[in-house]
Amino acid sequence: MTELNQIDLRALSVGNKRTWDAFVAAAAPLINAVVRRALASYRLNEEDVMDAAQDVFVRLCANDFRLLKTYDPARAGLSTWLAVVARSAAIDHARRRRQATQPIDDVPEALLGVEDRHVEKLKIPQGLLTERQILILKCLYDEERDVADVAQLLRIDAQTVRSTHHKALLRLRAHFGEEPP
Amino acid sequence: MSTERTNPSDKELWRSFVTGPVVSVPITDLEFAAWLEGRLPEWEAARIEAAVAGDPEMRRAALELADILGKPLPQAPARLEVRARTLVGFAVEKRFEQPVEPPAPSRVSLFDWLFAWNRNFALQRAVTLTAAVLLAVSGFMVGGGLSETLAAERYAKNWQTTDPYSSNELTDFLALDSI
Repeated sequence: MTELNQIDLRALSVGNKRTWDAFVAAAAPLINAVVRRALASYRLNEEDVMDAAQDVFVRLCANDFRLLKTYDPARAGLSTWLAVVARSAAIDHARRRRQATQPIDDVPEALLGVEDRHVEKLKIPQGLLTERQILILKCLYDEERDVADVAQLLRIDAQTVRSTHHKALLRLRAHFGEEPP
Repeated sequence: MSTERTNPSDKELWRSFVTGPVVSVPITDLEFAAWLEGRLPEWEAARIEAAVAGDPEMRRAALELADILGKPLPQAPARLEVRARTLVGFAVEKRFEQPVEPPAPSRVSLFDWLFAWNRNFALQRAVTLTAAVLLAVSGFMVGGGLSETLAAERYAKNWQTTDPYSSNELTDFLALDSI
């Protein structure tokens, strides 16, 4: 089977049938995994998950492969970009589906909270912590992830995550004198 | 996977710093993918990390995708592949497979080639010209000889028909009547 990184993108973006079939075979496991994981909290049935995965492929080839043509191999790997696209397409699909079929009173409050897209601002002074330190603290405390998960995300070893976390807390404690503002 | 957890008091300290929402920074899919792969320079990565740190949805996406991309993937259902394949059909394929014809080379006549100003194929052109001249001369000579022969033959035939000593129908008739 052809690997994703062996796909001829030029032929794919002009709609070559054989290249598209090879692309589908190579990308289906990744898109399937990403879509299932993204929709796990939406409690959709198997048909809806299949539709969401199909929606990813539709987006890729719609309007003369417009989305696919935005991909730049010099910037990111095809599988990573595809995973990002698949996840956002799946979330959009689930939201559209829920809006169309489910009264809002029937949706659990916790699930509605997922859609509440916002950015949290910290009360800590700007520049006290680096962006990476903030991200590590957020992943560890707000997302309640393991050190290993954060290390995998940032492509660094677990010890680096621990030391970054430790240094960040030392700075916070030193700045606020152990007392939160 | 490690089940290592952080100190609860550190967690409480951290949570006490979080306040209300502000506007998120737009990040493209390609930027996000490049950041996930660790391809970005430090200053650009810091921008993405700030956005990811500030947006719970992006954090969840990043953690999920990092987990999926780091593991072997299960096979997708066959139905998913079959449906996706139908999205690109044979009409598009036909259009793609039509050979793109290279621009037709401008046709050069024999005359243009023989008397071109450039020096390409000079020897071939000289040989062709000589052969053409020889052909024309020999053709003229052969043609001239033939016409002479034909003229002689015609003259001889005419001479035969106008011979005063030869008989024809009129002289035969006059001879019969003893005229």
